[in-house]
Amino acid sequence: MNELHVLCRVAESNYVVAAADVLQMESFSGATRVPGAATEVAGLVQIRGRVVPVLDLRVLFGLPPITPTLDSRVLVTRRGERTVGLLVDSAREVLKISESDFQPPPSVVAQQTDGMVKGVAQVGERLLMLVDLTKVIPEAQEQSHGQ
Amino acid sequence: MTPGFEAADFIAGFIAEAEEHLTAANANLLAVEAAAAKGQATPRPVRELFRSLHTLKGLAAMVGVDPIVEVAHAMETVLRDADRAAGTLPAGSVELLLKGVRAIERGVRALAGKRPVPGASPALISALGDLRQIAGERAGTTAGTSLPPELAAKLSAAERQQLVQGLESGRLAWRILFLPTPERAAAGVNITTVRERVSALAEIVKVVPQSVAVSERAPGGLAFELLVLAAGPKEALAEAASAPPEDFSPVVLEASVARAGAVIPDDDLTEDQLGRSGFVRVEIKRLDDALDKLSALVVTQFRLGRAVSSLRQAGADVRELGQVVSENGRQLRDLRAAIMRARMVSVAELLERVPLIVRGLSRATAKPARVEISTGHAELDKAVAERIFPAIVHLVRNAVDHGLEAPEGRRAAGKPEVGLVSVACHERSDNQLELTVSDDGRGIDAEAVARRAGAALPATPEGLLELLARPGLSTRAEVTETSGRGVGMDVVKRIAVDELRGELSMVTASGQGTSFRLRIPLSITIIEAFSFVCGGETFVVPVSTVEEIRELDLGKVVRGPDRRKRPRGQPDRRRAQRAADMIGRRGQAVPVLQLEDLLGLPAATAAVRKAIVVRRGGEPFAFAVDRMLGQQEIVVRPLEDALVKVTGVAGTTDLGDGRPTLVLDLAALGDALFAAEGGPSS
Repeated sequence: MNELHVLCRVAESNYVVAAADVLQMESFSGATRVPGAATEVAGLVQIRGRVVPVLDLRVLFGLPPITPTLDSRVLVTRRGERTVGLLVDSAREVLKISESDFQPPPSVVAQQTDGMVKGVAQVGERLLMLVDLTKVIPEAQEQSHGQ
Repeated sequence: MTPGFEAADFIAGFIAEAEEHLTAANANLLAVEAAAAKGQATPRPVRELFRSLHTLKGLAAMVGVDPIVEVAHAMETVLRDADRAAGTLPAGSVELLLKGVRAIERGVRALAGKRPVPGASPALISALGDLRQIAGERAGTTAGTSLPPELAAKLSAAERQQLVQGLESGRLAWRILFLPTPERAAAGVNITTVRERVSALAEIVKVVPQSVAVSERAPGGLAFELLVLAAGPKEALAEAASAPPEDFSPVVLEASVARAGAVIPDDDLTEDQLGRSGFVRVEIKRLDDALDKLSALVVTQFRLGRAVSSLRQAGADVRELGQVVSENGRQLRDLRAAIMRARMVSVAELLERVPLIVRGLSRATAKPARVEISTGHAELDKAVAERIFPAIVHLVRNAVDHGLEAPEGRRAAGKPEVGLVSVACHERSDNQLELTVSDDGRGIDAEAVARRAGAALPATPEGLLELLARPGLSTRAEVTETSGRGVGMDVVKRIAVDELRGELSMVTASGQGTSFRLRIPLSITIIEAFSFVCGGETFVVPVSTVEEIRELDLGKVVRGPDRRKRPRGQPDRRRAQRAADMIGRRGQAVPVLQLEDLLGLPAATAAVRKAIVVRRGGEPFAFAVDRMLGQQEIVVRPLEDALVKVTGVAGTTDLGDGRPTLVLDLAALGDALFAAEGGPSS
């Protein structure tokens, strides 16, 4: 069974997100920062009248943030009731990748990425990492704050 | 049924509507009971009760809930007889009817919880049947009036009785003719507004629509006859009814005695069409949705404005386009205000259940109590109303349970045996609602409270309130069934002060009673806000939370010693705050916090800045910001995602640039800072 995936780039690496989880893709020119939120939270953007928190995948993957470019994109993803944007360097392609093409990531990679990569697939020249949204977007829980 | 018919939707609709009728039925039963205690008949509440039950029966039959149909039918039959008897219910019937209402409530709740609906209690049904026989023997007579027969024929026995009773009690009865015209309609005067205005001055017995010959005065060939009972002069009424005095004719008692034999028509459409049409029940989510869509429209409008500016800069003639855009902006603001109004619910409606709560408490505690509610036409945003209601219930509970003395105590103190709980509210000019819950009971024993709290005797009412609001404090040694222990004032304070950012205060006098005052914002969705710049970013803060905005000359800021450690557990970007800064304000030292430090933004360089002064637990403190931008009405969207739920940020708004702007809660930001400093953080 072939499944659609959105291909995106973060730094030099290629990642894919199941297209079924992506509501839309938007260009990005900056977000309203939320003081006190975790460092990987780039801030809030307003997309078609709704306010969406954006996670900077660079920061989440341990890289320094960059100034937004014309290529920067926000993948607006849905996880249960929540809608969260993922900021990536670019997102241009949608690929059909069958589930069987994905292999579990090498255990070293799995450990180092806290399970955020749940599979890898070789498509042509490129090695694509499948992002596990359930790990990237943590379960909703009260953040400790105000202390 | 339409093809898209969904049983679940239908049940949800049934539950919502049934709850409304049950609430009305409860309120009317209490009115009947109160009047019966004074020996008066109550034609109108009985009639409304009958209607509620009749409707409930019909609704329940539609969704096929037989136990509800059975109870509603038995109650309806009793009420129909009572209505024929001009609103007189046999003794003991209120209790039984309340039982019936509770049985229906149980059924509705079961339905809502998707549980099987329990069968109707045969004992209840047969007791209701017995009532009916008693009632049947009592249908009495009623005096006649000078009403013309064609009009009299349109009145039910209950309405005739209401009229006669009113006249017998010394009030005047009038027939007022109202003629609707297009000019009047354009000026906002129609039968609905007239009805409202007249009902503020007089009791409306009936409004009868009539067709009349088309004339200059009645271009539509339609007239309404209002039959009213009034205590005051007819001049005031004439103004309210927009009717000249010659359209008034008096109604007087006549000596003849007529048999009351009229039967309630099952579908009394005239009354329903006039009094109840024009309402629609809307789920609040749909209004939120409309507001969201509107926000998107506001953003588009802003972009349109920008596009026009760039055209203008390019030398194009955009005068007309500019006018259209600004007109469009005004219309959007009006539309937003209209949606906001649609979200408002009347406080009177919110408090509908209070009499029932007092009644229940009064019985449970064996303290006779009556309740007075005066709300005027005050309205509240639905979201605020839902949050504040539990606080009101707590205060009312406390008033009966702790405030009022037992009857012996009241007699000994020379007070009437029946205690009084009153709930009143009025809207203030600053978009706040003031709500008071008072009792005429024994007052709060400050010494006992201090003893229980293990604290010194408070010197002020504020100090006493502070003790009362300590979690877990109860002034009663034993656990009572109604108030439980240790819940109450802390909950009230949390809701009113912490959640709604309102105020709570109290006055109490030994032997005279206690009064709690809540001051809450009318809306937390759409509010007046100041916008300002700090650390290069724009923020807004609700006007209601700001005490003052003043110039801040950095040369006049006094810096004290700073030995504090940097708070832990905060993002790295936050630097040490200079919280030992202060300014003099009306002879008082006010701490100054650099907002950009708290928010981890670049430090400001300007020598003159602005200070936003807010209050925290009665003490003022100031936040230094770069500059103020303006004041405007904003739509606040709460931040729900855990990723961005942080202290000090109440939500976001769109100031028209298509980007979210943070709505700050400065008091909470201050609270968090002070909490971090006092001892080990929680």
